[in-house]
Amino acid sequence: MGEVILGMPGQWAHDYREKADHYTSKIGGLPDWPDLDIPVSGKLLLCDLCGGKLCLMAQIYAPLSMAERSIDERVIYVLGCMKKDCGSNPQSWRVLRLQRCKQDIESKDEPLKAEQPEEESTSVAEDKPTSQSSSVKVCDDEDSDSDIDLDDLAQALEQAATLASNSKKQDGTKHTRKIVEGPVAKKLIYDLTTPVLPCFYIYSQRNSSEGRMDKANFVGGSSISLKEIEKSSGNESEGESWEGEAYEYDKALGADRTYLKFKKQLDAYPEQCFRYSYGGNALFPVANVPKPGACKICGSARRFELQLMPPLLYFLQEASDDSSNFSIDGWTWLTIIIFTCPKNCCSGTCDEKSGNSCRCIVEEEAIVIQDD
Amino acid sequence: MAERGDRGGFGRGFGGRGGGEGGGRGRGRGERRGGRRGNKSEEEKWVPVTKLGRLVKSNNITSIEQIYLHSLPVKEHQIIDTLLKGLKDEVMKITPVQKQTRAGQRTRFKAFVVVGDGDGHVGLGVKCAKEVATAIRGAIILAKLSVIPVRRGYWGNKIGLPHTVPCKVTGKCGSVTVRMVPAPRGAGIVAARVPKKVLQFAGIEDVFTSSRGSTKTLGNFVKATFDCLMKTYGFLTPDFWTETRFSNSPYQQYTDLLSKPTTKALLPPTEEPLQAEA
Repeated sequence: MGEVILGMPGQWAHDYREKADHYTSKIGGLPDWPDLDIPVSGKLLLCDLCGGKLCLMAQIYAPLSMAERSIDERVIYVLGCMKKDCGSNPQSWRVLRLQRCKQDIESKDEPLKAEQPEEESTSVAEDKPTSQSSSVKVCDDEDSDSDIDLDDLAQALEQAATLASNSKKQDGTKHTRKIVEGPVAKKLIYDLTTPVLPCFYIYSQRNSSEGRMDKANFVGGSSISLKEIEKSSGNESEGESWEGEAYEYDKALGADRTYLKFKKQLDAYPEQCFRYSYGGNALFPVANVPKPGACKICGSARRFELQLMPPLLYFLQEASDDSSNFSIDGWTWLTIIIFTCPKNCCSGTCDEKSGNSCRCIVEEEAIVIQDD
Repeated sequence: MAERGDRGGFGRGFGGRGGGEGGGRGRGRGERRGGRRGNKSEEEKWVPVTKLGRLVKSNNITSIEQIYLHSLPVKEHQIIDTLLKGLKDEVMKITPVQKQTRAGQRTRFKAFVVVGDGDGHVGLGVKCAKEVATAIRGAIILAKLSVIPVRRGYWGNKIGLPHTVPCKVTGKCGSVTVRMVPAPRGAGIVAARVPKKVLQFAGIEDVFTSSRGSTKTLGNFVKATFDCLMKTYGFLTPDFWTETRFSNSPYQQYTDLLSKPTTKALLPPTEEPLQAEA
């Protein structure tokens, strides 16, 4: 429950407007809506402040496996406004949670599966991915097969265009894909009015233990050696003695203790684009953070789900140097913390009719912490 | 194996356990990532976190004086590394600090590190940690985050380069107050051993000092000296009597520059879709 999963940058998209599917986690680009009964209403895609179109900042596929039910079709979209004035105002950000409440056999929007197994909450079918999406479900019950499944899973992840490599990321267009599939090939979305951020895909990595942080890179090592210290500590003969020292918290001129802890976590994985920890604790860079509100539908207090981290802005900025029509410089956030409803409630229009699947879009809450 | 129960499914959606963590097969497949991680630990590229860091990384800010001019807080030590190349560091002292617990005493080490380039920039860092190496490393980073400019002036004739403090300044920390008085050339740094080091790193050649209070608490003594150096640029001398001409902070400067519409409009690639479907 408390573990943190990091979203690390993967491969760049060939074209920023290319279509993925809603099982892919990516940054930038255009949002991939699954087939909806009712299309996403225009109002949700417009900025509250200026009325302009919001652009997709992050699309994260976040299925849940809870005790009572599992929601496999759950995607979180983070939308932001790129205009200069709106960028620093937290009201211009919008987080949408889109989920499907019931699993349906006749669902049309799973082109990857050859057959449609009936989904139940207790067993999840294994699926060999054949295309670039990462909608793989792993079987939990079979011990002997799970190893092989991991292989295929990892292979799928590689093939799913979520490979990472620093050098490759920069020249993403030169990297050819191994598999180009028919139904979900890279089509372009012909939506030219929406502003688009540079697009790259995300792979997930577990936040490893503290040991790594101590070895976190220290560039530009000091000119001190431990032996020198031991020598100098012998020079106590002049009557000086460092008395009365007590423990002191970290402090620097521009950075306080909370920020330094935030930075320490970032330095462990300097490229992390977001941190995902359903129900876990957020990493706050400042001490006083406003509390999240309550869910508008069920009234329960929202819970932390994920937070976007600053390296994301850096990558977007690097990519948008030459081709952007809006500037990302208007964004100066240190982190965007996203809180979602713990009950994953629906918007109320879907009932418990059997065989009926409905998709709900619920607006969640984002707290933007600015970088002063 | 995936655990049931309340668990965020994001990792599960990716099969995160297959991707990131160990397990022989996982490592085999993810070897690229593991290998990369190994390479990265040797010389890791700096990914800036703050806006100022991004500006420095993209070489929009070339001199640290631009940062000082607008009093921008420096939150990443790599900024200082990039802008000040000749920074030297020295550990002034490592002292054990003890805390009494029921199970005995818990000892941690407190490191005092001073960094400076000997030419007007100096920083002081203090860090407590359980191991000496960690304390030193942390203190160097904190010292770099606290680098300040030091103003130097003349004692008498304004010939040659500035060599001493511009006026009498005093700094205080705890009960220790340190007073620095301009000295003629050739006087050297007239101070105790510990603050002398800080003043040497700052690039002050001649100064008379006088201290008061419990200077045995050398931690406070060193911080008082540092505080004194911070005040050299805070002192209003007649040179500053002219009206300030305010300039744009780097944040505004570069936002305006980059938010101008570029000449290259985002035209739809009309030919491409035909080729993709062909």
